[in-house]
Amino acid sequence: MPHAGRWQVNEMKSVLVIGGGIAGIQSSLDLANRGYHIYLVEREPSIGGHMALLDKTFPTNDCSMCILAPKMNECNAHPNIDILSYSEVMDLSGNAGDFTARVQRKARYINEEKCTGCGDCTARCPSKVPNEYNGNLDKRKSIFLPYPQAVPRVMTIDREHCIYLTKGKCGNCKKVCNAGAVDYEQKDTFVDLNVAAVIVATGFDMFDPTHMQEYGYGKYANVITAMEYERMICASGPTGGHLETAPDKEHPGKIAFIQCVGSRDLQHNPYCCSVCCMHAIKESILAREHYEDIKPYIFYTDLRAVGKGFEEYAVRGEKEYGIKYIRGRPGQIIEDASTKKLTVWYDDTVNRKVKGLEVDMAVLCTSLIPAKGSDKLAAILDIELDEYGLYKSRDELTAPLDTRRPGVFIAGYCQSPKDIPESVAQGSGAAARATEVAGGAYI
Amino acid sequence: MKDEPRIGVFVCHCGTNIGGYVDVPSVVEYARTLVGVVHVERNTYTCADDGLTAIKKAIKDHNLNRVIVASCTPRTHAPLFRSAVADAGLNPYLFELVNIREHCSWVHMKEKEAATQKAKDLIRMGVARTALLEPQEEIRISVTPSALVIGGGIAGMTAALSIANQGFKVDIVEKDSEMGGMLRYLNDLYPGGRKASLVMDEFIGKVKNHPKIEVHTSSTIKKVDGYIGNFTVSVQNEKVPLDIKTGIIVVATGADEFKPVNLYGYSGSGNVLTELELEERLKNGSLQKLDSAVFIQCVGSRGEGRSYCSRICCNVAIKNSKLLKQTFPEADINILHNGIHAYGTYEKMYREAQELGVGFRKYSKEKPPEVTVDGERMRVKLYHELMGREIEYTPDIIVLSTPLIPHPENGDLSRMLKVPLGQDGFFLEAHVKLRPVDFATDGIFLCGSARAPADIIESINQGYSAASRAAIPLMNGYVQAEAITAVVDETKCIGCGYCASICPYRAASMNEKTVIAEEVTYLTKKSYINPVLCKGCGTCAAGCPAGAITPNHFTLPQIMATIKAFQQPGAYIYDRIKA
Amino acid sequence: MKQIIKRTKAYYCVECGKCSGSCPVARVNEGFSPRVIVERALSGMKGEIEGDRELWTCLTCEACTTKCPSTVKFSEFIRGMRSSAFNSGYTSRCSQGGLLHSIQRVQSYRDLVQNRLQWISDDLKTSTEGEVLYFTGCLPYFENLFSGFVNPLEIARSTVKILNKAGISPVVSPNERCCGHDLLWTGNVETFQKLARLNVEMIKESGASRIVTSCPECLRTLKLDYADFLEGTDIEIVHISEFISSLIKNNDIKLNRAGIMTYQDPCRLGRHMGIYDAPREVIKSMGELVEMNKNREESSCCGVSAWATCEGNSKQMQIERLIEAKSTGADMLVTSCPKCLIHLRCAVHNQIPVEKEKVDIPVVDLTVAACRALAGE
Repeated sequence: MPHAGRWQVNEMKSVLVIGGGIAGIQSSLDLANRGYHIYLVEREPSIGGHMALLDKTFPTNDCSMCILAPKMNECNAHPNIDILSYSEVMDLSGNAGDFTARVQRKARYINEEKCTGCGDCTARCPSKVPNEYNGNLDKRKSIFLPYPQAVPRVMTIDREHCIYLTKGKCGNCKKVCNAGAVDYEQKDTFVDLNVAAVIVATGFDMFDPTHMQEYGYGKYANVITAMEYERMICASGPTGGHLETAPDKEHPGKIAFIQCVGSRDLQHNPYCCSVCCMHAIKESILAREHYEDIKPYIFYTDLRAVGKGFEEYAVRGEKEYGIKYIRGRPGQIIEDASTKKLTVWYDDTVNRKVKGLEVDMAVLCTSLIPAKGSDKLAAILDIELDEYGLYKSRDELTAPLDTRRPGVFIAGYCQSPKDIPESVAQGSGAAARATEVAGGAYI
Repeated sequence: MKDEPRIGVFVCHCGTNIGGYVDVPSVVEYARTLVGVVHVERNTYTCADDGLTAIKKAIKDHNLNRVIVASCTPRTHAPLFRSAVADAGLNPYLFELVNIREHCSWVHMKEKEAATQKAKDLIRMGVARTALLEPQEEIRISVTPSALVIGGGIAGMTAALSIANQGFKVDIVEKDSEMGGMLRYLNDLYPGGRKASLVMDEFIGKVKNHPKIEVHTSSTIKKVDGYIGNFTVSVQNEKVPLDIKTGIIVVATGADEFKPVNLYGYSGSGNVLTELELEERLKNGSLQKLDSAVFIQCVGSRGEGRSYCSRICCNVAIKNSKLLKQTFPEADINILHNGIHAYGTYEKMYREAQELGVGFRKYSKEKPPEVTVDGERMRVKLYHELMGREIEYTPDIIVLSTPLIPHPENGDLSRMLKVPLGQDGFFLEAHVKLRPVDFATDGIFLCGSARAPADIIESINQGYSAASRAAIPLMNGYVQAEAITAVVDETKCIGCGYCASICPYRAASMNEKTVIAEEVTYLTKKSYINPVLCKGCGTCAAGCPAGAITPNHFTLPQIMATIKAFQQPGAYIYDRIKA
Repeated sequence: MKQIIKRTKAYYCVECGKCSGSCPVARVNEGFSPRVIVERALSGMKGEIEGDRELWTCLTCEACTTKCPSTVKFSEFIRGMRSSAFNSGYTSRCSQGGLLHSIQRVQSYRDLVQNRLQWISDDLKTSTEGEVLYFTGCLPYFENLFSGFVNPLEIARSTVKILNKAGISPVVSPNERCCGHDLLWTGNVETFQKLARLNVEMIKESGASRIVTSCPECLRTLKLDYADFLEGTDIEIVHISEFISSLIKNNDIKLNRAGIMTYQDPCRLGRHMGIYDAPREVIKSMGELVEMNKNREESSCCGVSAWATCEGNSKQMQIERLIEAKSTGADMLVTSCPKCLIHLRCAVHNQIPVEKEKVDIPVVDLTVAACRALAGE
């Protein structure tokens, strides 16, 4: 694709993209590359979404950040794209072709123009909090970059934990910053944006399995969620890519992956998350790549490998990487208090026996749930939620990208459970719909 | 460029990112000593406004004809620096970015001395190369403001409508006499059971009434010439053959249903049906009575011969089993499966079928169901994996869920368009994750089941996606070709065709050429690399056995100079007395 | 059987296996698998299920039901199938030689005269009419049968004492019948209904607006299974642990320290009725609570249900549970169900294949412990 640096900014309309994950990034780039001006609003300090937190992606096992970061940078460098990070949409008035969106820019207490993300401040910050970008497995500072590849590369001060902002003491970061970018007096501001169309691509959040007592998450040290696993096995994560088990940080000999934790579950989320079977296979393959002697077990109900190349990936997992697929959702995980090893109780379909498998680590492949605040945003945008809390299409069958409000479109997981290629496709698709509206020939 | 190189080097501190780990002043002093360097300065942030201004000023003041910025990765600011250089009147390809951050300061944070030396080495190598850089031209190709969609099914119609709504003329080339594709054969659609004909008529109506769309039915593609923005597609139909000039092509040719001849008693007639054959009976009302039906999933897929899962068949079977149960409430309907793949929100349909009383029985891959057809009577023996025993059914109809398979014509079309097919025979996209509807060949896009089995909703999503990708060159009106391309020296080319066979972008092609030598005239083939399609990857140049291909901006002398500069530092330093 | 499937939503089963994976019985009995039973039902194998011995092995403890992602009500399913088997002529399996079920069936005769109030000593105040009824259940009969190692009536006495301490003189009727829980869960619906009607008559005659019971099975049965029979009345039904807990919250009674305790969640009180906290609050007010690994919804059943089966499985489950309890280091294992009390005590009392030291933690009823710990006694 032609170089962003050589583009002219056409006198064309603007489009608001809410959500800077892979779907939102795709929408933004497609539209910007044909001359639209994009406001990319993202509530986290950086764009990238959940894809930025993955280690590798199935079925190619590409390094996730390696294929994502160029797109993030392209958004940043693109003259047609304004990234409004750490911001949220508060109101949307008007009609297709002429909306006014009110966006709250949360104060990050850093002057974005001046900050270069050099990191001198972080080194001196004394306030440590659990790092949500590493699955809470380690700590970050109260002045931080979510990850090294963050876009925009600008620090953020976490107002809830910053010692200066909460108690009036410290102030190290300001003293150390050469660029003079720290501004404790900064306030939340509001901007009004005039846009022709809106694309909502707010993605998802992860289900918390703490209350599912049978699995012991939160009680047993070696029961972790899939996202925590991703961060652990990622070379840029809290353990530098080592799988560590309690009590002595040795890598696990046997790992159990438990599918459908909280999904396909009428007591929690009735739908199927579409991606967990595949990511469990991927994580098993990664485990084997890191440690030759690891034995992965995947406990599934149906192994949903439906996409292009997925079934072959599942078969390869078994043949080349030694994954054992067991058709049976475990009923209980019990920990041996002295060794911290886990026993996974399950019903073996093939032998029709109930067995306890001793493993060193159990990974719960938890449900992906509608992003926090979806209901609030739906009310602001005047669009509907479906029975699952995901955004509802105007017509599920023939107009999946449209909502009931003309000019507001949806793309990605927030519309229905899907994986990265489908999110990218919908991101582009929503861009096409937005062009039709902004171009005037709306049907 | 034949004149003496006058190189300006700008060493960036990048705040403390570089400056904190590399002794920048020492690097600056070193750079001054290098051959060809006439100006060196250091900036806190070269990418900031004052840095860019400094570059432009230095070009003018010192009459620089080459510029090096030693800073971060090209990914962040190379376009910015090139712009600045161009603004000052210099060809932007006389600019080089030496990465002394990601490649140096950031990875050697605890070794200041070694890092500083490395930075010096990197700059020296950069200088050696930059001295040999030549200006490159950026070509703009204009794009014909129209698209051609091959295939008038749901994916093709969606893509066509969206492109037309974005303001462009679209030609749809459909091989059948009617549009609609698979929709013509379907009874109803999931989720919700809307009649396929309603959806089909809705889309066909919109297409036919759209002033910007022209439909060519009973037409096939005979030949495709050209490249992005300038395709000439020769279309054959019953009447007059037609040449359509178009800017963009979208492949939406769909797929076929696999007919499981000799599997599970299927013969093409009788009461062993494929899903499409069931759809037909449901459509024409010929199914008047039903006591018992058995669906068998994964017939001809997920096994030897065809390894993929065809994605839609579980949902189709669920949809049809629901309809049968609603029509014949007393009937015994069972789906024999190897895992129900009702993914995403389709899980709801699965439950609805269960509520209606449809039975789901799992068989094991090692012991699939056995069908015996004995005249009118059919028996299905299922080895129920969980219960570990056999169950027998005597259904009135057996429905086999078979996969979608690529059209046999895919091979011809792929050759004409110069786009690849994957191992399974479906068209292969540029990148499985991030470019699902692009081809590696510019200007051609892909959507629907031509790429991989997709249902109606997914085909519509992908149709819109292809329309968006197509709209980029269409709306811009031009395509900026990559400036860094490869060039063939015909006098050296031996016509082996290796370059054409390995170019991932299909930019290299072999053309017939008549060569007039002194005493003899002969016909041979010579390689031509289309600068519009070429991405400058250099694969052809690396593979050419005759060394006939020069990858511009990465020529052999340039690369050798860089290596030599690394190996022999002394050759590139001499004392200079600063003015 | 189709009705049972529909009522219990068994058709939603996707064979995920979580039920069998959580089933405490399946872990010790290879022949028993909830998943397989449901699949058989969905394949129409009615006769086979009814004739299967394993139909009676299920403890209906709801370890599976609480977890089933398809919300299949497995315990109700078993109950329905047992009733279906009963109607098809199969005899319910019954431990103790059928003695307990016989006693319960006998109580369904209207004209039966029982001598069930002998345990009421002079220091206990009871009435023939009043606002609060104490539903004693089968405690008097259990006393006769199991006095070798347990005193079920001490629970009754402790309950009345505590009610008295709260200023209540409860109705204890000589005409009470077995609530019918065991017969209902072993397929004899008809007799259950007879018992239910007789009990409801008795309740209405007493004028009570509130029923207190010390047995979780009576609680469940009165609250859930008597719902139709008690329709129109507005009677509150509570378990004694809830009652004691509210007394403590209102500072109406105070308990002295009794020691370090661990707690067995009875199936009917815990998973069936969702009462986990009230008993714990009572325990915490008379000492420390140390939880076993498997607690609350994860609690393991005491091994016998409805007197249906009591065999090798049961013993194994009881021994494992007692070992788990002893290894917490607690002074005693507290439970708030007379059945749990009897079954767990029985396990230690009889011949077992492990050393007594591993399992000999004292098993005490919550109400009895609370009564003993009453301050000012």
